[in-house]
Amino acid sequence: MRLRRQLKQAWIRAFCSAEERAALARLEYRDAGHGYDALGFDPESFAVALAACRLAYERYFRVTSSGAHHIPTRGPAILAANHSGLLPIDGAMIVADIARHTSPPRVARVIGDVFIPLMPWVGTIFSRIGVVSGSPGNFRHLLEGGDIVLVFPEGTPGIGKGFRKRYELQEFRVGHAELALRYRVPVVPVAVVGAEEAWPEIGRIDAFQPFGAPFLPIPATPLPLPVRFHIHYGEPLDLAAEFGDAADDPALVAEAALLVKGAVQTLLERGLSQRKGLFS
Amino acid sequence: MTRVLVTGASTPVGIALTHALLESPLVDCVLAVAADPRPDSFARVAGSRLVYRVVDLTRARALHDLLFREGNDLGVEVIVHNALHRSAWDEGPRIHALNVETTRDLLGTAERHPSIRRFVFRSASAVYHVDPRRSTLLSEDDPLELDPRAPQKVRDRVEADLTVCTRMGMSRLEIVVLRCAELLAARVGSQLYDYFASRVCLRPLGFDPMLNLLSLEDLTHALCLATLGRGSGVFNIPGADTLPLSRAIELWGRTEIPAPGPLLAPLYRWRARVRGMDFRYDLNRRRFHSSAVLDGRRALRELGYRPVHPLRWPAGGLD
Repeated sequence: MRLRRQLKQAWIRAFCSAEERAALARLEYRDAGHGYDALGFDPESFAVALAACRLAYERYFRVTSSGAHHIPTRGPAILAANHSGLLPIDGAMIVADIARHTSPPRVARVIGDVFIPLMPWVGTIFSRIGVVSGSPGNFRHLLEGGDIVLVFPEGTPGIGKGFRKRYELQEFRVGHAELALRYRVPVVPVAVVGAEEAWPEIGRIDAFQPFGAPFLPIPATPLPLPVRFHIHYGEPLDLAAEFGDAADDPALVAEAALLVKGAVQTLLERGLSQRKGLFS
Repeated sequence: MTRVLVTGASTPVGIALTHALLESPLVDCVLAVAADPRPDSFARVAGSRLVYRVVDLTRARALHDLLFREGNDLGVEVIVHNALHRSAWDEGPRIHALNVETTRDLLGTAERHPSIRRFVFRSASAVYHVDPRRSTLLSEDDPLELDPRAPQKVRDRVEADLTVCTRMGMSRLEIVVLRCAELLAARVGSQLYDYFASRVCLRPLGFDPMLNLLSLEDLTHALCLATLGRGSGVFNIPGADTLPLSRAIELWGRTEIPAPGPLLAPLYRWRARVRGMDFRYDLNRRRFHSSAVLDGRRALRELGYRPVHPLRWPAGGLD
């Protein structure tokens, strides 16, 4: 444990500038007593992950972003993004981008699928860097605590939709809309352009479901392609102003989720039309 | 001024609670009940504010006479039921009688008693069904562990908890159930305390769940608030220490060795046989794989309880 901590510190020193280290030291989180939050988030592990993502963010995927001023600097918010890829690279790049564009850096708490905690190592590492399993209780806890929460309302069908259906948004789950209405928090639509071509899938094995994962994807390439990522943040949607106190009305909640989906789709289309090429 | 009956009064929790109640200006006297002789620490309590009785609560007649004799004489108003069997390996009808039947009898008799108006039951976080697919924070509404294959210690605690909960709203008594996080201390039946007794602690490979641990000071404070408060309800009582299992092992000064999960149950069973330890891996399997932290917002809102006393690590000084 002590060795692990020393390695983390060495890693942060090696890959983060003094300025970045100072910014990360101001990271806001709710310490539950021993440097971790109640859901297992550890700021040191988060800093290590950010440092590890740096090469991928700056050199490999050469991420650009627009509309970052729409990310709330304080208070709770839900960020809803399109989803793709064999690994959640899109999620990692959004989290890194948010940390870079907010001061003090904000940690976007990613809502992952419920099978993630069942996976040895993966579950632990993800919880240390801020990913939480997608249960309503965890979601509520984060919103009540003033966190920004990153959701992929397409869920697993988003990552399993295949290359031919890239940028075709799958059906949006409605949980994020319900909670946005209940807690009256803004929803920021996010579109990630590039991620859906980065790691094409040529097939999948539905019969193999390790640790409760819905399928085992078969990638076309051993590593993701160095496609350029463009992250677009849209204007925050005030669903409560639009739909009122409708968190318990299934029809209105579904309509609110459709509104979010439409906003993400619009951003995606704009991002795709602005893109000059896959790698530029 | 309140008159309180405390069961399990010879246990560390019972002793601490009895002293805390006697220090309160709101408590007139305490009727302390246990199966063991009077602890030495009660010797310094002067006057008639503490009455100590050795009673076998599993005997319905003894329990009835206690409440309708000493209880009547003293005018007991509140019962704090804290007498549950501590060992994880002991099983059978005698243990069940103490854990469940006594709780049922005590509650039933208290309902007929003329002066008793409040019943406080110390339950445990072990009653919850830990499931990684559910929320990490356990609220009072989360599912209970109803697996028939669970060890008797867990099944008894769930049954006792439900026995008390089912009377809530139907009884004339104010009923309070405190589902307390694990108290990390000696002689209180703490599984983790016994787990840390080894110089080497085996933990499941690839898993490092978040734990929430309670100190004796915070537990005593929560019990006092529940004893002297008003109203009924079920409340989670979290501790001030929320940390990963690996960090807890480190703070205790132990060496951790990650090992494949399926090996741990037989290894710890063997250890229990050889060294007579109380730790049962099968009792802790779920929480050694999945994080489970008590959500104490209801206790804060309605009892005014907030954990403020972190553990002093290592909390025992075993060596």
